[in-house]
Amino acid sequence: MKVTVNGREVETAPDPCRRLLDFLREDQGLAGTKEGCGKGECGACAVLLDGRLVNSCLVLLGQCEGASVETIEGVAGTALHPVQEAMLQLGAVQCGFCTPGLVMASVALLRENPSPTPAEVRRGIEGNLCRCTGYVKVEAAVLDAARRMREA
Amino acid sequence: MAATAFARPATVAEALAALAGGGGRWTPVAGGTDLLVRVRDGARPGGLLDLTGIEALRGIREEAGALRIGALATHAEVAAHEVVRKHAAALAEAATVVGSPAIRNRGTIGGNLANASPAADLVPPLVALGAVVEIAGPDGCREVAAEALATGPGRTVLVPGELIAAARVPLPGPGRTSAFRRLGARRALAIAKVSVAVAATVWRDGALSGVRVALGAVAPTVIRAAAAEAALEGRVPSPDVLAEAEAAVRTDARPITDIRSNETWRREMCAVLLRRAVSALAGAHARSGD
Ligand SMILES: Cc1cc2nc3c(=O)[nH]c(=O)nc-3n(C[C@H](O)[C@H](O)[C@H](O)COP(=O)(O)OP(=O)(O)OC[C@H]3O[C@@H](n4cnc5c(N)ncnc54)[C@H](O)[C@@H]3O)c2cc1C
Ligand code: FES
Ligand code: FES
Repeated sequence: MKVTVNGREVETAPDPCRRLLDFLREDQGLAGTKEGCGKGECGACAVLLDGRLVNSCLVLLGQCEGASVETIEGVAGTALHPVQEAMLQLGAVQCGFCTPGLVMASVALLRENPSPTPAEVRRGIEGNLCRCTGYVKVEAAVLDAARRMREA
Repeated sequence: MAATAFARPATVAEALAALAGGGGRWTPVAGGTDLLVRVRDGARPGGLLDLTGIEALRGIREEAGALRIGALATHAEVAAHEVVRKHAAALAEAATVVGSPAIRNRGTIGGNLANASPAADLVPPLVALGAVVEIAGPDGCREVAAEALATGPGRTVLVPGELIAAARVPLPGPGRTSAFRRLGARRALAIAKVSVAVAATVWRDGALSGVRVALGAVAPTVIRAAAAEAALEGRVPSPDVLAEAEAAVRTDARPITDIRSNETWRREMCAVLLRRAVSALAGAHARSGD
């Protein structure tokens, strides 16, 4: 079966019942995607599947036939993504375990809505649990990234 | 994961044939947001029949005086759909508050119905709106009223070999509106402790008719609130009438005390949410100006 991961087509002879999360981390070596709860509740495993934010712990590889997956490793180009820049500069990262998922959720939000209100940012990241930062700086970083992207 | 088999049919006919020949081996999976959590908790289905490749189960369209919502329509699609927002406001409101963005992008209306949780958010609106569930099986299609689909927590009238194909919501006549209100422990990622959906025709003088009230999470299945409906029917929801309806809905609810809330609180919250939903109906009507 064929899946595109970060723009690269991957041929696999996979176990279709393998979680997309395990396929990415173990088979593809893309360990930026994290496992927190394994039950859809924390967002640490968030990736984009055909452009839409999903929890990769609740997707089976067999369901991804022909699909395109984007992970945290595919977000930065030669430079960091503005969301990543802003998170670094505004101190929105502490232990960092939730960060890849938060970045994916924020990137998905900003693609759909380049000028979110603070309330819309909170809603965009409501599926991502962070046990360190308290979200205030994360929210500020996403709003800041939105501003940078609009001005760029 | 320990499921031994996986199949991804492209048509309803292929899916039904697999179910018919599988001797009970296959468990359907759509968005996986309920089923794969159960697998994570130790459930071991013999085989997973992935429905997400079946084009005919996708999409939302107007058809013969109704809105036909394919079983694979996601919460995000339901929440964003213009016609749903206009003609089935309660359903759009419910789809908007499910889980989180990632859950809404993946979870489906068919899964929400088939899972038969008494707290399933899309079910009270579907019941209040008088929706019908289309079920595809080996002998063709049959239809069941949304309120008759669940028979208990996690149990439905579906028999092995059947699939939910769609939910059909009748398009409303002039003046008909609906609203949904729910309470959970917090805004995101919390299942409803109590939810209320109301649909009614609001007349020029503010009187309500054809009132349908559905309650979530206060009985083994989503239920109609017959006494509350009777208290509102044909009347203008003045403070006195609302007080009567609130007293009635406390008796309609059959809640339990569990780890999330106690019974008294749930009855009281039914009353609060009913008042809010009915007030929202009147407000929506005033804004639409018909
Ligand atoms: C973190 C989290 C938060 C959640 N929050 C909410 C919430 O706020 N409100 C809410 O209502 N729900 C919530 N849910 C539950 C779930 O997301 C919804 O019930 C969703 O609609 C299920 O749809 P699905 O396609 O993912 O179902 P699946 O998990 O694919 O399937 C669920 C069940 O239905 C069966 N099934 C699926 N489709 C069909 C079909 N077409 N025909 C016959 N059987 C079928 C499956 O065999 C399975 O038994 C949450 C879940 C998670 C993990
Ligand atoms: S690991 Fe997937 S949501 Fe927590
Ligand atoms: S920075 Fe530690 S969990 Fe978010």
